[in-house]
Amino acid sequence: MTLFFKGRFALFAKIVILSIVSAVLLMLCQSAFAQREYAIAGFLLLAVLAMNYVYLTNKRTVPFKFFLPGTLFLVAFVIAPIIFTVVMSSYNYKTGNIISKEEAIERVSALGVEPDENGTTFDIVIGKAASGEWEILVSDITNNRYFLSTKSTIADVPISDLKRNEFQVATEAPGFKRLSAEVLSQDEGYSKIQYKYLGEYFIVADQPEVGAVFRQTLKYHPENDTFINLQNGQVYRDNGRGNYANPSDKAQYLEPGWRAPNWFSNYAKLVTDDKVRGPFIRVFIWTVIFAVLTVLTSFAFGLLLALALNKAIRGRRMYRSILILPYAMPSLMSILIWAGMFDTEFGAINNILGTHIAWFSDANFARAAVILVSLWLGFPYFYLISTGALQAIPSELNEAAAIDGANGRQIFNKITLPLLFQILAPLLIASFAFNFNNFNLIYLLTGGGPKEQLEGQIAGATDILISYTYQIAFGSNTQDLGLASAISVIIFFLVASISLYGLRKSKVLETFG
Amino acid sequence: MKNRFMKGFAAVAAVAFVTGLAVTPAHAAGEIVVWADETRGPNLAKVIAAKGDWVAGYTIKVVTYSSFDALKDAFDKASGTTGPDIVVAANDWVPTAAKSGKLAPVTLTASQKANFNATQFFDLSYKGKLYGIPVDINNVAMIFNTKLVSSAPKSFGDMVDYYKANKVSKNLKAGLCIAGGGMSWGAHSVFSALGADAYLMTKKGTVNTVQSFNPSVFGANVKKYLLDANGKSNGFFPASDTGCKDNFLAGTVPFAVIGNWEWKDYVAKGFEMNLMPVPSVNGGYGHMFGSVSGALLTTFADKHGVAAGAKSLLVNFFASGAGQAAYQAVEGRPPAAKEASSSTMLSAGQKGFGSAAALAGIPQIGAFLNNNKGGANYWDSAPAYWTAVLIDRKNPVIEARKLAAIWKGNVASGKSDL
Repeated sequence: MTLFFKGRFALFAKIVILSIVSAVLLMLCQSAFAQREYAIAGFLLLAVLAMNYVYLTNKRTVPFKFFLPGTLFLVAFVIAPIIFTVVMSSYNYKTGNIISKEEAIERVSALGVEPDENGTTFDIVIGKAASGEWEILVSDITNNRYFLSTKSTIADVPISDLKRNEFQVATEAPGFKRLSAEVLSQDEGYSKIQYKYLGEYFIVADQPEVGAVFRQTLKYHPENDTFINLQNGQVYRDNGRGNYANPSDKAQYLEPGWRAPNWFSNYAKLVTDDKVRGPFIRVFIWTVIFAVLTVLTSFAFGLLLALALNKAIRGRRMYRSILILPYAMPSLMSILIWAGMFDTEFGAINNILGTHIAWFSDANFARAAVILVSLWLGFPYFYLISTGALQAIPSELNEAAAIDGANGRQIFNKITLPLLFQILAPLLIASFAFNFNNFNLIYLLTGGGPKEQLEGQIAGATDILISYTYQIAFGSNTQDLGLASAISVIIFFLVASISLYGLRKSKVLETFG
Repeated sequence: MKNRFMKGFAAVAAVAFVTGLAVTPAHAAGEIVVWADETRGPNLAKVIAAKGDWVAGYTIKVVTYSSFDALKDAFDKASGTTGPDIVVAANDWVPTAAKSGKLAPVTLTASQKANFNATQFFDLSYKGKLYGIPVDINNVAMIFNTKLVSSAPKSFGDMVDYYKANKVSKNLKAGLCIAGGGMSWGAHSVFSALGADAYLMTKKGTVNTVQSFNPSVFGANVKKYLLDANGKSNGFFPASDTGCKDNFLAGTVPFAVIGNWEWKDYVAKGFEMNLMPVPSVNGGYGHMFGSVSGALLTTFADKHGVAAGAKSLLVNFFASGAGQAAYQAVEGRPPAAKEASSSTMLSAGQKGFGSAAALAGIPQIGAFLNNNKGGANYWDSAPAYWTAVLIDRKNPVIEARKLAAIWKGNVASGKSDL
């Protein structure tokens, strides 16, 4: 056995494993660097160095050998996303404002061209001039004109000097070095050039064989960070919210924009914007009700079953097995099955009850359905932990209370329940936090609905904060990731605060005994 | 110990370097990457590979995603240089992706443009610039079961009368239902047949951005044809598409709106392609969205240094009659290019849907339909109307007024994006 932990074999195995992990991380690091994700690249590089240092040295780093993997994962998958979310919550980060400012300037410039009145295009051949710069041989067949054009020069070529193909397209001219398709495919520098044409118009090699005539309509001036419309002189300035806009008409702005810091605007929107504030408050209230009701009902039902089965009854083992079946089944499947059972037309529930209730069309029925399904999914967990907790309570306490004359109810209320709370309080709090963010249940069962779309409602009756956030971030064609991040941060602080408060309270309960 | 660390680190670095070289991915120079969903991807790969020289000097790699949603998710998340050069996508991606700087405009010559119906460019344009090539037509058409109905209905009322007369004797589950395209996209032809278009088209083929449908007329038609005397659904038109396809195939629904991507399922079950637009209440036809899917040029192509090559692939393959005919012979949808639509390789189903689109198709304009400035976008508000009236038994005229106001607001807001 020591072979695997000491000696040359162990060292060899360690180096091989470290090498493979390092190779994968370095590959990811290189990829991240290439995509200009410098923070991720830096973290991966540090992780590789840290890993090698910790696992290739002895003694001083022994504790880190155990802590390092967990620490790296904690940083990568918990701390970094939290920081990223907090940072993004202070940005105007939504559809239309996704890319960086540099990219936006590049895109606005590229889009700030317009074709000539006739949408003129020419057959072109791409090559290089004697000077080595990109040059195109243009065939204006309609006007029987042929010319060579570079970025700064244009020169007609007599037809007699040209070699043309069967479609009258010029393929060769004196002093013009034509480049092959293979060469052009390796270097598309030719497509970035504005080849000289008439007046303000230029030719762009849109494809290797086609040149289109354009003129620039928007020009960027880096010295004062503005775009100017060359046709009407209109100036567009950085509006501080991620767009170049007309200062006299803020609704007139250039696209695309970029993600720009807007500090606390997203948070302020939750309070000041009626369209956001109303649904947010309604969703928040329902989220709290949903989480509290789910925990209370699941705990009460689970405890009831645990108490019932805590006594020696025939078939207890079988009952216990059956009761944990809902817990053993993947919740995803359970939720989808319940969704089918609540179907108005074909659902088992309406069939059994002999009703025709549109469970997911009516707000109250939909909420009742959500609570019922969450009870179904949650009670086995509370049944299990309550069973364990009940068995951990010394029987002497109950016996002593009985000798002192306490009846069953008094024993339960004064001894069993407080002791249970002492043991289960952290789990109840954790369950509350889980249900506060129980996205799967809402998304799969009701989709957050019903929603009065025709009334312009943007949040459904069963939407909880996390599903509402998802809807804002990804649920429609216009995504507002900044606002969604702000709500996520609020959820984080709410859950953290409630959990901390609950944990403190549970310490108070510890003194009860 | 230091010595041991250095030796060990050197060994790790050497092995990692060699392993890293073997596994490091690279965007090969001169390689055009096309992203597509699980049905289009394999078909595109097959057709493109069959003729390797669509763009001289470039190689073409088709990346297939497991579903359309997975493709959308990947494209939404693409940033820096991680995106494709071309993505085969739905037309309603254009406004948002162009707005976010992920798409690059395409310039077509006059002859290339002439190969398409001008309205198809509506779908793939944003603020006057074209961002892709129409690849195939996505539309619905109404199929009728000839075992139940001997001839094509002349009007919406004919269908309702048939349903009422035969509901019990033939154990009909519904009269007309939506089997393809859902209660918003697929059901537009029913809205339109009853008098509510998402936007009105002028005779010149432009959009009337001033007027919307008449809610009183539409609401009255809903009341007359879809509700009973108590204001309850008469069962002719269900508010949900659940079970529609199965019921039609089982012979318990005489009329169904089906999508052109699934006609093979009906043929396989022995149905003839009796396709037509949904007849309207006044004898015309309800308008259906004749949208196109597009091969969209991305800004990633420029970052990869293959923008010109990608444009050539769009023109030489996606916009050409030969390319579309070869592709649609495998894919089975109606091609968008005129040259390809007359190809002998097309099936009766593809031609039937093409005819229906020609009779009653209107362009699907994302600038209006995706817009929610009116209070909700078309996709959410349309099914909400059916739910409100057919399930919740709300007043069809009052709800129609809300719907008209929403759609009118969306058109007013979206017209600047055209």
